[in-house]
Order: sequence, then C-alpha cells, then structure tokens
Amino acid sequence: MKSGAQRIKQRCVPFVLLLPAVTLTVLFLVLPLFYLVMMSFTEGSSFFFEQKFTLDNYRELFSRYRAVIQTTVFLALASAIVDLLLGYPFAYFLYSRFPYKDLARALMIFPLFGGLYLAFGLYYLFLPKGVLSPLLERLGINVLSLLYSKSSVILGMAILTFPFMVANIMTALQNIDPILKEAALCLGASRFRIFSRITLPLTRSGMVAGFLMCFGWNLGAYEIPLFLGSQAEQQVVSIKMYQQALVMSNYGLSAALGMVVMVLSFSVTYLSLKFSKGALT
Amino acid sequence: MSLSGIPLDPQIKSEKEREGKGKIFYASTPSHAPIPLLGPYLSKIPILFLNGLAYLYVLFCLLIFVMPFGVTLWYSLLTRGRSPKLTLANYQYVFGSFLDSLLLSSRVSLVTLLFNFLIVIPAAYALVRYEFKGKRFVLTLLNVPLYSPAIILGIGLLLIYHFTYGLYNSFWGLCFGMIVGTFPLMLMPVMVALKDLDKVYEEAALCLGASPLYTFFKVTLPLIGPGISAGIILNFVIVWNEFLVTLFIAGPDYITAPLKVYNQILWFGYQNTTAALAATLQIISFLALMVYFKLFGSRFLKGRFF
Repeated sequence: MKSGAQRIKQRCVPFVLLLPAVTLTVLFLVLPLFYLVMMSFTEGSSFFFEQKFTLDNYRELFSRYRAVIQTTVFLALASAIVDLLLGYPFAYFLYSRFPYKDLARALMIFPLFGGLYLAFGLYYLFLPKGVLSPLLERLGINVLSLLYSKSSVILGMAILTFPFMVANIMTALQNIDPILKEAALCLGASRFRIFSRITLPLTRSGMVAGFLMCFGWNLGAYEIPLFLGSQAEQQVVSIKMYQQALVMSNYGLSAALGMVVMVLSFSVTYLSLKFSKGALT
Repeated sequence: MSLSGIPLDPQIKSEKEREGKGKIFYASTPSHAPIPLLGPYLSKIPILFLNGLAYLYVLFCLLIFVMPFGVTLWYSLLTRGRSPKLTLANYQYVFGSFLDSLLLSSRVSLVTLLFNFLIVIPAAYALVRYEFKGKRFVLTLLNVPLYSPAIILGIGLLLIYHFTYGLYNSFWGLCFGMIVGTFPLMLMPVMVALKDLDKVYEEAALCLGASPLYTFFKVTLPLIGPGISAGIILNFVIVWNEFLVTLFIAGPDYITAPLKVYNQILWFGYQNTTAALAATLQIISFLALMVYFKLFGSRFLKGRFF
C-alpha cells in the first residue's frame, strides 16, 4: 500500500514531465496568438503605450484591403484546384501503375524544402532566355509573359503544395479494400465503371482534405508571389503583413491582416483534419 | 502545418511494405494489376498504351519537382557573363562570404535540436506511459504549432518579442521560435516509438531493483533510439530550411542561410553565387532525408494516437 503523499507524488509525475513542453507552447505560441488578437483591435502600435482600442483596423481591412484578401484567396483557391486536377491522376497512377515508388518519394521531397528555393528555381526556368525557353517557344507559349504573371505564381504555389495533395489521395487510395474492386471485377464491371463507382467515391474525403490543406497552406504564401508575381500578384496578405509590421510599424493593421489568415487557415485545417482521417497525423 | 513544410511523408509505401509480411495474399488478381477490358488478348494493346501514358505523366510530374532544383544547380555551376563556362568558383562564396550564415544556421539547428530533445522526451513519456485527465487537450495543445501557418507564428512572435520579451534580433529569440514550431514533429516519432516499445523491459528492470531513472536511461532511452533519431533528422531539415518565421523574428543581425538567399535575391538579384548557396542548402537537406528514409522508411510518420 502506498501512502497518500506518495500517491499524490505519483500523480504529479506526468504533469512535471509535461511542464517544459506546455510552458514553451504557452509562452511562445498561445500568448503570441493572444497578443495578435488583442493587437488587431488597437490603433497603430499603441497596444503597449496607451492602449487605444478601436475597430479601425478591421474597417480598413474590409475597405482598402478587400482586394488584397480577394487576391490571396483567389491565388490559394486556384493553386488548390490545379493541385487537385493534376494531383489526382498523379496519385492514382503512382499508386496503381508506377513501379519506382522509392524514386517518386525521393523526388517529391524537393518542393517540401520550402517556397524560397522553389521560387528561385522557377525564376531560372521561366527566364525569357533560360533553360526551358527554346522548348516552350516551340510549344507556342509566349516566353516573355511567363515570368511575373498570375500563371507562374499559381504554378509555383501548386508545386509547393502538391505533395500534400498526393499524400492525402494516396492514403485514401490505400484505404480502399481491394476486395471491393475484385468483387466488381467478378461481376463484370468495366475498368471505367470500377473507377467511377468505387475508387472515386471512396477517395472523395481524401480529395477534400487535400484540397483544404493546399488551400490553407497557400493562404500564407509569401515568397512565391513576391518572387514570381507581378505587382498585382504581390498584393497578398502575407506580403502586406510584412510591410505593415516591419516597414511601416503599423502593428495593429498587420495583426488584423494576420487574423484573416489565422481564422481562415485554422478553420480550413480543422476541416481538413476531419476529412483526412489521420492521413497526416 | 507550421514552420514546416512538414515532410509529412507522402506516405507512398512500396508494394512490399503495403502488403505487409504476415498478411494473407489474395489468390485472385491483385488490385493494382491491369484489369482486362474485353479479353486478355484483344485488350493488351490499349492497356499497354494507357500504362505508357500513365508512366509518362508520373515521370513528367516528377521532372517538374526536380527541375527547379536542377536548374539552380546548373546555374550555380556556371560563370557569369555572356558565354558562361562550367566552374566551381561560385561555391567558394558559399564557404567564403556566406559561411557566417551557414554557421549561424548550423548553430540554430543544433540548439533547437538539443532543446527539442530535452523537451520532447519527457513529454512523450508522460503522454504515452501515464493516464491523466486532460491528456487529449494537452496533446492537441502541443500539436497546435503544426497547424498554425508559419506567417502567423512569425507575426505573433514578432509582436511579443518586440513589446514584451525583448527577444527581437537575438539568437535565443530565433531559437525559441524554431523550437516551438518544430518540437511537435519530434514528439510524433518518439511517441510512436514509445508506443511500440513493450512495457515488459522497463518492468523487468524495475523488478530487478533498478531505480526508475536508471531504467529510463539504460533501458527505455536506448530502445527508442530510432524514433528519436528519426525525429532529429526531420527536425533538422525543417529548421535548416526555415525561412518565413526567421524573416519576421530574426532581425538584421541574425541572418540564417535561407534568409541570406532571400536577402541576396532582394538586394543583388539572381546571382549564380546565390544559386550555389541555395543548391548547397538543398543538397544538405536532401542527403539528410535520404539517410532518414534509408534508416527508417516511413515507419515513424504514420501513427495515430487515441
């Protein structure tokens, strides 16, 4: 029999063990996010000096910065759609036909290193007198309009988040019971029918999860619009946030812009986790 | 999905892995084999054709992934000017004027990994081996950094560093930003490893009279070693390449290597020397991840708790 004091001690052990991790998360994540919320309601950078609470930031957000939010959402949506359209066949073929899966896995790592290197590389690719330009010209693509355009930004974002889409769809494909397909086959269903009646419906949750994940991820894209976009594409929330905070010292507005990204991407991530059913835990 | 382009493993498993060793193999056609359309002979040709198209498509996509890196590497090997020649001279800069940034990056990575190790192991142990109230909540809380976009983490930390902690433009501020963004990624593999580890070994050690601490260091820790190293490699790759959070909180005196690439592009345009730096960083990360896959496959990337 343990004494009462010992039992209490025993009960405290997990909390003591968790203390550093929880402290760190609270100090460097929960509090900063809390500050972000608070600061988005204060004027300029008054939060720590006079604390003038105001809704001006949000008013400005929905008047002057509405176009910025629209551009951000549009670019993220467009790249997520591109991801879905290109990613589904990719994942499907990779899963069902392609024998060199290790090679595919190794090469798919590159976009995950981050948008900075990707934007750098894509810049060289899209350069009017770059490596690809003879090939692109032959294909009838106007090389001069490639760089600094909407399409290059969307393509860059799509490549950046492609692995997330593929991962989600692959997991969904792997979770399909092969017996279903065999049964359909035995009953004489055609290939197309099997795909449209079994594979596609059963991977729908994976598609939704992947789509939301790509969308949420690209809402915060910074370096790709900055390096590959024209003036119009550079009007995204993340770049504005950086300018307002570190160039103009208008922390209130920057925080309000941050709130937009935060609310959107947290809700999107929450939904995608619901759909992905542990694909990416 | 924080800091990290979390190398959330694309979870592509090879056929062998997927089937599993001890599983029953179905006698009928495996699901991935081409399914005859009209009859085994007549259908051969269209299926070959379709397979070829599928191959080409996959290869094309893979090519697109590698192209940006390949082009960066190619330009990093060229001299400047009208008629470029192959040279290694650009890499002199990487280990010359860019060396400070590389060293800072390595230092940040090292400190971050050390702290992650110290924070994650007790936390994982508590989460796996103990039952207590609010476990789910704690796990969710610890995973929030994974799902908060880097830019949000960056702006939040910037505000709080500027106005309260006074950590803006400091080494430790940078490190803590990295730690909070990456430790959940280490938590995952360590928890998987601990879950897979049978309690029997610890209990045996305890029965034989070892103290709990001694048991932990001599039995548990060595046995979860693979999980820990997996977490460390994953973390390294992310901290090593982290750019957006660094951009917000680093300040002018602490230019890590990815930030150096960014600054070089902004100030001097696209130089071949910068390409050399970017290529070096990517090669280092790629090698680290190759080691990871060689050692662990995707074992520690899956795993759900509760």
